[in-house]
Amino acid sequence: MSLAWHMVRHRFGGFAGTFVAIALGVALVAGSTTIYLSSRPEAPERYSASPVLVRSPSVGKNSYGEPEYQSWTAAEATRLSARLAALPGVTAAAADPVFYVQRVVAGRPTGDPTDALLDGHAWSSARLGGYRLSAGTPPRRPDEVAVDGAAPGSRIEVLTAAGPATWTVTGTVDGPGFYVADPAALTMSSGVRVIGLTVDGDAAQVATAARDVVGAAGEVVAGHDRNSLEPAAVTRVRWLGAQLLIAMVGLGGFVAVFVVASTCALSAAQRRREIGLLRAVGATPGQVRRLMYAETLVVAVLAALAGLPLGALTAPLLAGPLVGVGLEPAGYTVTMQPLALAGSFVLGVLVALAGVGAAARRSSRVPALDALREAAVERRAMTPLRWTAGGATAALGAFLLAKMPSMPVTDRSTAGLGAAMLLLTAAALLAPVVIVPLVRVVTWPWRRAAIGMLVREGTLVAVRRVASTAAPVLLTVGFTVLLTGTVATIDGVQGAADADKIPAATVLAPDGTPGLTEAAVAAQTGTSQLPTRVLITHGGTTAGYYAAGPASGSGMVLDKATAAELRASAGDGVDLRWADGSTSRMVVRAVRAEAGPGMLVPRELVRRHDPAALTEAVLLSGSPVAAVGARAMTARDYVQADLDEEGELVDLFLAVLIGLTVGYTGLAVANTLLMATAARRPEFRTLRLSGASGGQILRVTSAEALLAVAVGTMLGGAVAVASLGGFRAAVEAELSRPVPLVIPWGTAATVIATCAVIALAATALPVMRGTRAATG
Amino acid sequence: MTALNALDVVFPAGTFTAVMGPSGSGKSTLLHCAAGLDRATGGEVIIDGTPVGGLSERALTRLRRARVGFVFQAFNLIAALTAAQNVALPLRLAGRKPEPGEVTAMLGEVGLADRAGHRPGELSGGQQQRVAIARALVTRPAVLFADEPTGALDAASGREVLRLLRAAVDRHDQTVVMVTHDPFAAAHADRVVFLADGRLVDSLDGPSGAQEIAVRTAHLEEVMS
Repeated sequence: MSLAWHMVRHRFGGFAGTFVAIALGVALVAGSTTIYLSSRPEAPERYSASPVLVRSPSVGKNSYGEPEYQSWTAAEATRLSARLAALPGVTAAAADPVFYVQRVVAGRPTGDPTDALLDGHAWSSARLGGYRLSAGTPPRRPDEVAVDGAAPGSRIEVLTAAGPATWTVTGTVDGPGFYVADPAALTMSSGVRVIGLTVDGDAAQVATAARDVVGAAGEVVAGHDRNSLEPAAVTRVRWLGAQLLIAMVGLGGFVAVFVVASTCALSAAQRRREIGLLRAVGATPGQVRRLMYAETLVVAVLAALAGLPLGALTAPLLAGPLVGVGLEPAGYTVTMQPLALAGSFVLGVLVALAGVGAAARRSSRVPALDALREAAVERRAMTPLRWTAGGATAALGAFLLAKMPSMPVTDRSTAGLGAAMLLLTAAALLAPVVIVPLVRVVTWPWRRAAIGMLVREGTLVAVRRVASTAAPVLLTVGFTVLLTGTVATIDGVQGAADADKIPAATVLAPDGTPGLTEAAVAAQTGTSQLPTRVLITHGGTTAGYYAAGPASGSGMVLDKATAAELRASAGDGVDLRWADGSTSRMVVRAVRAEAGPGMLVPRELVRRHDPAALTEAVLLSGSPVAAVGARAMTARDYVQADLDEEGELVDLFLAVLIGLTVGYTGLAVANTLLMATAARRPEFRTLRLSGASGGQILRVTSAEALLAVAVGTMLGGAVAVASLGGFRAAVEAELSRPVPLVIPWGTAATVIATCAVIALAATALPVMRGTRAATG
Repeated sequence: MTALNALDVVFPAGTFTAVMGPSGSGKSTLLHCAAGLDRATGGEVIIDGTPVGGLSERALTRLRRARVGFVFQAFNLIAALTAAQNVALPLRLAGRKPEPGEVTAMLGEVGLADRAGHRPGELSGGQQQRVAIARALVTRPAVLFADEPTGALDAASGREVLRLLRAAVDRHDQTVVMVTHDPFAAAHADRVVFLADGRLVDSLDGPSGAQEIAVRTAHLEEVMS
């Protein structure tokens, strides 16, 4: 261990690559996990004064893995509230109906459209957040409201699911939201899902007593469990953010291992004589291996200690931007996460040890005699292990890529990332096989010139060195092309598929609102569907289904898939539970190939049982009639706006991941070239003594660096294009129609140019220092 | 290619043997095989009574560590370690802590007691070679092999190195085998063996003058060409 410490101290330059890779990797992982762990579900602010909450029963999970809840009917909620209010220690029990309200100022809806869906409340629920009237009186009649930021007696314009309304402000509240009289709130909301309790006794005792009262009719949550009441929309934002963070951590870890492995391999190759000497003076292979691990351990611990504060201090700075781009909910703050820091530290050290593994094993096999050999004649570039590992990763990557189209959409990006990593590792491992023919081809035109000959022969005898320097370029180029190409191809497919379905028509779409009000829809001539979610119990399990209400019709129409799932055919009765908690039996009128979201029920029924429901769009058959919070546009623009919104997020993900890879591999390119070139100074001195000018040497090394970049680019590009081709074939097979292959030339060119510039700078630096030393 | 052919040679304990021969005569290969650095394809190598043929890499390393010392022509020291640390290295690799004063005494024997804390980069070539000798002798090996130990040194430093090797034989009964092509270096040995084409072709017993060795070498080269 002390020997390792001396080695590291003496030749820190050789370990700088590992140090930087691990320090940055640890910073990245520490920062990402801190951000991730800081993002915990939180009970909404408006329940802050309610230590015990009762939630309507959960009946299973939806396809996103989120629990599906069954609402209490207004009558059930009122009854349950009365019984809970009577419990000892409970000061009040308030049902919390929620509905859509958005304030309209000068004819324009204001505020965040998604937040507005949860902005309407019953007055009695204001006390759950500890909100009080700062002026005026509580609302009593319909069309009366208590709100923050308006004086009692004033009138405000609002939009609700029914349409525009003018409400009289009776009181000013010191909290967010619109509070209307309880009966009004119950009629505007789609059932009640939460009853909050305020207590003056011990919350835990109240919770126990409440459980006895509620029984199977709901779930009592207290303490930290209240955080599970976070609205699904907020949880989904956190989930999105987590996806990026997970991808970042995975990619960061992978690239760090890659960089450490290539640095260690190069460094071990350069230290053959020293290791031979150690072997000659009596170090066993095991001792050499342990020395390599110990050295890396020393470097990794130092690097991790440097990376931790970097990550921990950067994370809080990212909270604002993350909220800004919609990857964390509003009000998100980063807190110190000791577990994340400890985990990142351990991970950093493990990654470094994993990276050095192959180099250590190789070094331990260096014969003692190598200490006596002067020449840097390379051993066989390909070892059986390298062949095996290369073949295995290639096969696994190809398998994953082939499976991709049949995976759920949510898993595809992860699978794509994994496949890219595997295939590129395979390419890096197998690179020496193709480097020799590739170099011969590329340098063919210059084989007669002195510089061309030097480059050609110098590269051909040092295949491993070229492989080491080409590897990071290969990774960068391959990764960029594969990732952007896959996404662009999928985008192209989706865009084309959606565009196929769009009739050339005009639609009325929401404008600054989460959906269209009933009044806006009723004013138009056209067709629309009012979406809702119903619960259907079938074969002992209850599941949620999207249903929609077209303007006319009676009974229920199912599409074939849903009918098969419910084992229902025309004429059968289906029992369903509406959003407001009430149940009814519907007769299946018909089963069709397509039926809206899978199930069509009369619009009038949807409206009655889901008063807060909003229409997504109206397909117009007459000329549009102006309405607040709605505007007419072509169907194509409407679909495009939807795609663009999704595309923006995907682009952001890509930008972050590619930026991360390019940054990391840029580092690796610089590091391997710096190391390789610095070790060749004696060779350059000999060249100088043979009459080469400084400029000529620089041209030789620059040409070699560019050659390495070219080799990396070709291999990376080949892997990426081949994989993309395979991916496209799979998509085509699934859709049974041709799919255009999109290759992101622009991005690829930028990345290649970046690599070339870094490579040139990293070679020129040691050469210029070296030649100056030789002449000076 | 056969570097050594039907060669049978014994280096008796407590003697200083010089191995000479033209380039490519196999003298270095003989040294590597005798020292257990390289494995002979046929025949047998016995170091201090132990046949090395059947030993594993690990066992061979242990044998080398305990019984064999090396001095190379150049690049002998670990650049990261001080002179004292370099000398202590074989002991530490064997898992033994040097006794107090052991390393200093060894450095004193090669006249570098005051350079214990210097790194190789801060020492002259001759000093580095003396540290290498101290390191080779610290384990009290059965035999010390030296491969052209004066090849990279100036005349004065070379003489100092040879004097140290001679002293090890005379004072501590050390067995030394040295490959060299320099008759003046070989003149320090008790016995000179001559190799050509991987065969033992001649030997001079008893201390011989450089003149005599040079004549013998010249004669050999004439015969071979």
